[in-house]
Amino acid sequence: MAPPVSKRIKTLSVSRPIIYGNTAKKMGSVKPPNAPAEHTHLWTIFVRGPQNEDVSYFIKKVVFKLHDTYPNPVRSIEAPPFELTETGWGEFDINIKVYFVDEANEKVLNFYHRLRLHPYANTTPNTSNGSEQNTPGRNANDVEVSSIYFDEIVFNEPNEEFFKILMSRPGNVLPSNKTESCVYSKQLEQEEIDRIDIGIEKVDREIHELKQKLESLIKQEAINGN
Amino acid sequence: MSSSDIFDVLNIKQKSKSPTNGHTSVLSSSAVSRAKPQVTGMQRELFNLLGENQPPVVIQSGSNFKEKMLSTSKPSPWSFVEFKANRFVTLRHWVKGSKELIGDEPKESAYSKFNQHLSIPSFTKEEYESFMNETGNQDFLENEKNLNDSHANERVDENKNNWPFEEIIYLFKLCEKYDLRWFLIFDRYNYNESRTLEDLKEKFYHICRNYFKVSNPSNPLLSSLNFSAEKEVERKKYLQRLLSRSAAEIAEEEALIVESKKFEMAAKRTLAERESLLRLLDSPHSDQTITQYLTSQGMSQLYNTLLTDKTRKRKHDPNIPENPWMKQQQQFAQHRQLQQMGVKKSDVKESSSPKKTKRQRQEIQTALKRKSESAYAEQLLRDFNSDERKALGVITHGEKLSPGVYLRSTKLSTFKPALQNKILAILQELSLPSRPVMPSHDIVERQEELLKKINTLIDLKKHVDKYEFGRSITK
Repeated sequence: MAPPVSKRIKTLSVSRPIIYGNTAKKMGSVKPPNAPAEHTHLWTIFVRGPQNEDVSYFIKKVVFKLHDTYPNPVRSIEAPPFELTETGWGEFDINIKVYFVDEANEKVLNFYHRLRLHPYANTTPNTSNGSEQNTPGRNANDVEVSSIYFDEIVFNEPNEEFFKILMSRPGNVLPSNKTESCVYSKQLEQEEIDRIDIGIEKVDREIHELKQKLESLIKQEAINGN
Repeated sequence: MSSSDIFDVLNIKQKSKSPTNGHTSVLSSSAVSRAKPQVTGMQRELFNLLGENQPPVVIQSGSNFKEKMLSTSKPSPWSFVEFKANRFVTLRHWVKGSKELIGDEPKESAYSKFNQHLSIPSFTKEEYESFMNETGNQDFLENEKNLNDSHANERVDENKNNWPFEEIIYLFKLCEKYDLRWFLIFDRYNYNESRTLEDLKEKFYHICRNYFKVSNPSNPLLSSLNFSAEKEVERKKYLQRLLSRSAAEIAEEEALIVESKKFEMAAKRTLAERESLLRLLDSPHSDQTITQYLTSQGMSQLYNTLLTDKTRKRKHDPNIPENPWMKQQQQFAQHRQLQQMGVKKSDVKESSSPKKTKRQRQEIQTALKRKSESAYAEQLLRDFNSDERKALGVITHGEKLSPGVYLRSTKLSTFKPALQNKILAILQELSLPSRPVMPSHDIVERQEELLKKINTLIDLKKHVDKYEFGRSITK
């Protein structure tokens, strides 16, 4: 069944926030019955909305491609929640393919996530990539490790039918404040903007200084030259 | 590897083996060797490589050694005869031909025609005084001035300038005798006064000039008889100094020359770089709004500035390869469009200025199209205010971006590896992550601006460093 051809709306884009990543926990003596003996961790990889809202109105399915050593490494999740729980002992790159609903007539969105099982010994949350939250102070054995990324799926120039679907609900809403369940919020966004603005300010200052230095150098040379 | 090996590899049977493996048929090989010219050395190797079926090649027979003296002809007779070297001396030399042929009479040497003498002017005392006075008046006036300037030197000069006529005749005689070979003249000069070589020369040329001014005033070579003793002395001093340099001094001088050339090159390069840098600083920032370019007038203005920019850039970087296929296609398309336009023009009589190029018009068209498209998009969103739009995550960017879906974070600018590392280092210095924690639309926009500024900063820093380095060298 080929999706009906619909005209794209030029110069318009619609974005939807998503978060993806994984949580992992060390298994104790209690193991799932079918887990191999060498597996030490229980992990879950997921693609979902920041507030766990419904994303199935534009995402049809998500395919996770695991390491080749897993039986049936290509796991297709056809219905929400788009998540997969497995056991394992090692970290590897998981290929995530997001398929969109037929009306969208869009290609597959393809990206990677590095599975994280172990907390880094010296995690400094601000400088490390993405945001890994390790709740400190607890026994390392029962700490839940998580590696979660925020991103936005941008539909540039969606077709009209899909545009209607996207416009049917406010899908880009973020909570205004950080909460335990969802750190990605307007507050965090503003904090980050402020941080970048400070960076821009610093860079601007340095550019200004260098410019003046260069101009004075040129002037000096002009004087020396004449 | 000879041809036979190659034939072996290719599994070709040879009719007759070359002599290298010619055990099988002595007969044929001998026949071959008889048919072939006798070749040796490199040429034989060449024959081996060429094989049997080579086209006829002209071979220079014979060895590389000099041919033996085979001539049996009689040696021609040479005879030792007298000749006249000049009027007074007769010498003997070897001449080809028998004695009978040449005869007993001593002949002039064949080289006697090269024995030429200069014609030095000669004059009597009366003539000398007349032409010296005639032209001397002007000189006298000039001398007067000089004398006023240098009264102190007068006494010394007087002695020097005081040439009796006899001495002048003596000088001219010597000149004639030695054909103006000045070093000889100076060496043989033995008159009462002690004169320097420069004095002699100056006097001689001075008199000659006066002489010819009278006898042949329109001679264009007259001005070449100008000789200044002072300059000659100075020149010799310079030469003396130049020749008396030590090896170390010469080496130092050469090193300095090399160094100065380096400086010149570096200066040229820095000048070019600075020019480009100033252009970079002067050019307007690209993060300005584009609204002013959305009208057709603004569009054409933008086009013009871009066009001039392009020519400037191309001058700067002349080796941008051009895709010939694309060019041809473009030309073809333009041609077709032109034809269509020609038809239209006759109907509509377009009022647009003829200067506008095809491309300009095209760009205006696309701009208009995009405008209508964005107008359509705006119209779709007319019911939503900005907050609602934000909630829906919908934006009308009004730009030409490729349609399709992507993750926002993947659209962050990346740079060349070396530059990227520098940018990452600066980001770390600013304690910012290389990837924003929350790559939302606004944050990515800010991040892009930051990246652009960091790029400018790095560029600027590079130039300032280079500039300072250049200055430290020139100091």
